[in-house]
Amino acid sequence: MNLLALQFTPPDVNLWLILPEIIICVVAVVVMLVDAFARSSQRWMTGGISLVGLAAAAASSVWLWGSWPMNQAFNGMIVLDELRMGFTFVFLVVSAITVLVSVAWVEEDKLPAGEFHSLLMFATAGMMFMASAGDLVIVFLGLEILSIATYVMCGFRRTDIRSNESSMKYFILGSFSSAFLLYGIALVYGATATTSGLPGTTNIAEIARRLPEAQFPLLLFAGAAMMLVGFGFKIATAPFHVWTPDVYEGAPTPVTAFMAAGPKAAGFASFLRVFVFAFPLVVAAGSTNIAGKLHAAWVGALVIIAIITMTIGNVVAIAQNNVKRMLAYSSIAHAGYALVGFVAAGAATVIDKRNAAISAVIFYLLTYAVMNLGAFAVVQLIARSGDRRTEVEDYNGIGFKSPWLAFSLSIMLLSLLGMPLTAGFIGKVLVFRAALDEGYYLLVVIGVLNTAVSAYYYLRLIIVMFFRERTTSWAAPRVPISVGVALAVTILGVLYLGLFPNRVINALQTKPPAAVSSR
Amino acid sequence: MQQYLLTAIILIPVIGALVLVAYNFLPSRKESNFKWIALVFSVIDFAASLPLISGIGPGTKDFQFVQDVLWIGTIGARYHVGVDGISLWLVILTTLLMPIAILSSWTAIQKRQLSYYIFLLLLAGAMVGVFVSLDLLLFYLFFEASLVPMFFLIGIWGGERRIYAAIKFFIYTAVGSLLMLVGIIALYYIYNTFDYVTILRLMAEGNVPVDQTAFWLFLAFAFAFCIKVPLWPLHTWLPDAHTEAPTAGSVILAGVLLKMGTYGLLRFNLGLFPDMSRKFAPVMITLAIIGIIYGALVAMVQPDVKRLVAYSSVSHMGFVVLGLFSFTELGMQGALYQMLNHGVSTGALFLFVGFIYERRHTRAINEFGGLAHSMPWFSTLFVIATLSSIGLPFLNGFVGEFLILIGSWTSEAIGRAEIATMIAATGVIWAAVYMLWMIQRVVFGPITKPENASLRDLNAREIGLLIPLLVLMLFMGVYPRPFLDRSKGAVEEIRARVAAPTAGTFASTKPEKDGSNVAGKHDKSY
Repeated sequence: MNLLALQFTPPDVNLWLILPEIIICVVAVVVMLVDAFARSSQRWMTGGISLVGLAAAAASSVWLWGSWPMNQAFNGMIVLDELRMGFTFVFLVVSAITVLVSVAWVEEDKLPAGEFHSLLMFATAGMMFMASAGDLVIVFLGLEILSIATYVMCGFRRTDIRSNESSMKYFILGSFSSAFLLYGIALVYGATATTSGLPGTTNIAEIARRLPEAQFPLLLFAGAAMMLVGFGFKIATAPFHVWTPDVYEGAPTPVTAFMAAGPKAAGFASFLRVFVFAFPLVVAAGSTNIAGKLHAAWVGALVIIAIITMTIGNVVAIAQNNVKRMLAYSSIAHAGYALVGFVAAGAATVIDKRNAAISAVIFYLLTYAVMNLGAFAVVQLIARSGDRRTEVEDYNGIGFKSPWLAFSLSIMLLSLLGMPLTAGFIGKVLVFRAALDEGYYLLVVIGVLNTAVSAYYYLRLIIVMFFRERTTSWAAPRVPISVGVALAVTILGVLYLGLFPNRVINALQTKPPAAVSSR
Repeated sequence: MQQYLLTAIILIPVIGALVLVAYNFLPSRKESNFKWIALVFSVIDFAASLPLISGIGPGTKDFQFVQDVLWIGTIGARYHVGVDGISLWLVILTTLLMPIAILSSWTAIQKRQLSYYIFLLLLAGAMVGVFVSLDLLLFYLFFEASLVPMFFLIGIWGGERRIYAAIKFFIYTAVGSLLMLVGIIALYYIYNTFDYVTILRLMAEGNVPVDQTAFWLFLAFAFAFCIKVPLWPLHTWLPDAHTEAPTAGSVILAGVLLKMGTYGLLRFNLGLFPDMSRKFAPVMITLAIIGIIYGALVAMVQPDVKRLVAYSSVSHMGFVVLGLFSFTELGMQGALYQMLNHGVSTGALFLFVGFIYERRHTRAINEFGGLAHSMPWFSTLFVIATLSSIGLPFLNGFVGEFLILIGSWTSEAIGRAEIATMIAATGVIWAAVYMLWMIQRVVFGPITKPENASLRDLNAREIGLLIPLLVLMLFMGVYPRPFLDRSKGAVEEIRARVAAPTAGTFASTKPEKDGSNVAGKHDKSY
């Protein structure tokens, strides 16, 4: 392919391939319009419309998955593969549960429901683009759509100073990291220009092809490092995690729940896509080659990042007295566990093992999303309007006063801890298994020891709820139907994924028909 | 039908827990009925486990009542359960102790009865699951799952320092078992299966891990089990957990949960890594002997009856480990027998402690004295249980300890086995010292405190729940044959693997053959 051919290729427009994304964008606009014209008593409709839209997007994804004969469009800017479909499924689940949790909350806090759900849908669309991107430009576009929506969502309780602080912090640090990412993309573009006169490329598959004869290895390394920082910020890995606790604590609880589950997974989707597919392990080239060196460098960096992320997240979480802050550190720790699977995906020498490791990461993020949303749903109910009760002491002795809420939260905490019979256990087994398969014994041992550390703070909340007596009065919060449904879905999800995960794991490893036929 | 029996035994208590939840929704529910429902289900569970005995005859080597279905195909985990002579008695012990534990809580537990019995029943299901799992991941699942109900039992219904004890118990055990999980997954990558039976078969075909791998795998498994046993110096969680747990919790903790450790050592460490077991035997035996002496000496100075019994567990479980790592048939059979003895005797001792605690709300030895005057029934039975724990001939403890000591005397696992055995044997003397001294201070002598003069003696329920244990103490003491016969085949299977480094050397196996003849004579002489 030379420069001329590139210019005259007819644009490979194929809207079917982005049907799920289009549906979500349309729903976002519809929600905004409905909200503008509906009476205030009919505001709840926006949540319903969002749910219908999410279901439609899910159905269209399944359809694409089952029958679409091509695996890319827009000249490779959009791709269709296991990674995209798995993550899309995670995003839709996250969004749907967030809608269920938020419907009653926006009502109670007297916030504009339509705007919230519209923003949520845009954020979802952004996440989906991040997973479907075959090009660094689309990655960045998706990331910005997502980020801008979440900046606003963080500051959604606009009369609350903590919410404002959260939004501001997230915005400033988020823009900073986006700049890192963008600069990294630019450097990689520059580095991949060829001697035959072709300009650089941002296409992920093309980058991988050009790596071995990259002209400016230093630029390439710098670009990859910049992107590592940019993504590291988005998924909150140490040492780029310092924004997380403040932002998570200040943001309204349903937004925190969403941010810990959705954008983190989206960050992983792009992170995986860019590093595993654009800077892959080239077995034939050997390690002296630029591609080999780059691969060894980023995998090595990720091992270290995974270790410090798990350790910092878990150790600092022990010292937290605010439940939202504690769950924020726990989310950092969980990013670390997911990175263990990521490392395995990066280091895999066989395509099948790489795909298995990627699906392990997706499964892990799915389980994390479900249990995390469930936990935050309870936290939100107990916090009441305005997020007033989020200290650990506020949970004193509620175990036998609100048995169902406490039971739900306990299940989620045990799952976050990774106890068998829950989703968290299978998730951990999958990522640790993938890493052991690649020979990362030390990494896995550090991972399980971290799990033991995490027992302390997850159990602390259970202890406070069940083992202590309440000294102050306690009025059990009313559980709105939508939140009840969300809790039921998450509990059943945690148990289902914990006991019979086979079907989901299989689905995550199913290849699209196009990929099968092209092999 | 046979293949579903084990699953039924695991699920019956779980169903009981669900029935309790459902019953709680009835408008006409009565708090006092919770314990009845729990009792009924635990008795059904016990009854359901009895047919297992007839399914395993003398000399049965293979697993019986096997159910083997695919569970999580993508990660290669199976639902594979079965019993052999080793797990049979531990399952029966579990199902037997459950109704007793529930009966012992009859009046002792007044608050939050619903959740209490739910946790007890869930615990029962998980414990049976541990003993019958033949898939390593499934085993891990039950092993960890048994942790959570016990954590709640200690934490909610325990004594003053219950929170400290509960979290210590949980984290200690979790650290060990998580490392075991790494071992299990690593084993998967060697054999491409989690299935215990398949792995054994592959090993028999000569596919053994290289020494360095086996070394780490052995450690990963052993660490988890040694914490659970608990082997000195990993025992520090036990006195706290035992002391703070409610009576039923202590009974189950001592009776069943500790056995998971020794069962795991026998089944997995000895079974899967015979070469490494031989290499580690001196270490394990040394730790076991230190545990025997240390546990006994510390028990002696305890001012609290329950803590005393807890430390005596450290000592007794040391004997079990000693027997296991003697690699002789007598020693290993004795170890298995001692597991059952310990469950029965120490379980009973905790019940007695519970009885006086319920009456006096203290467990300090110096608060008691002369109970023989006010509580004759209690005192008589308590003395019997104590003697059984000490190992008086004609009671069960004697058989187990005697077999273990003969086994370790003839053991080739370590050099100078005689000296090791002599040191270990002093543990029996120490046991007599601390137990009888405690009995003397609690039961005999004049009544020193006026509160003790008017204590109510045991009632019919309390005597009734003790009867099965007392009968077992006598029966197992005079007629151990039905137990040892059934476990012989399975124990021999593992022993043969551990004890024979090279199949060709006939000379080294000969003395052990003589040893097994001795076993036969002993059995007859009882």
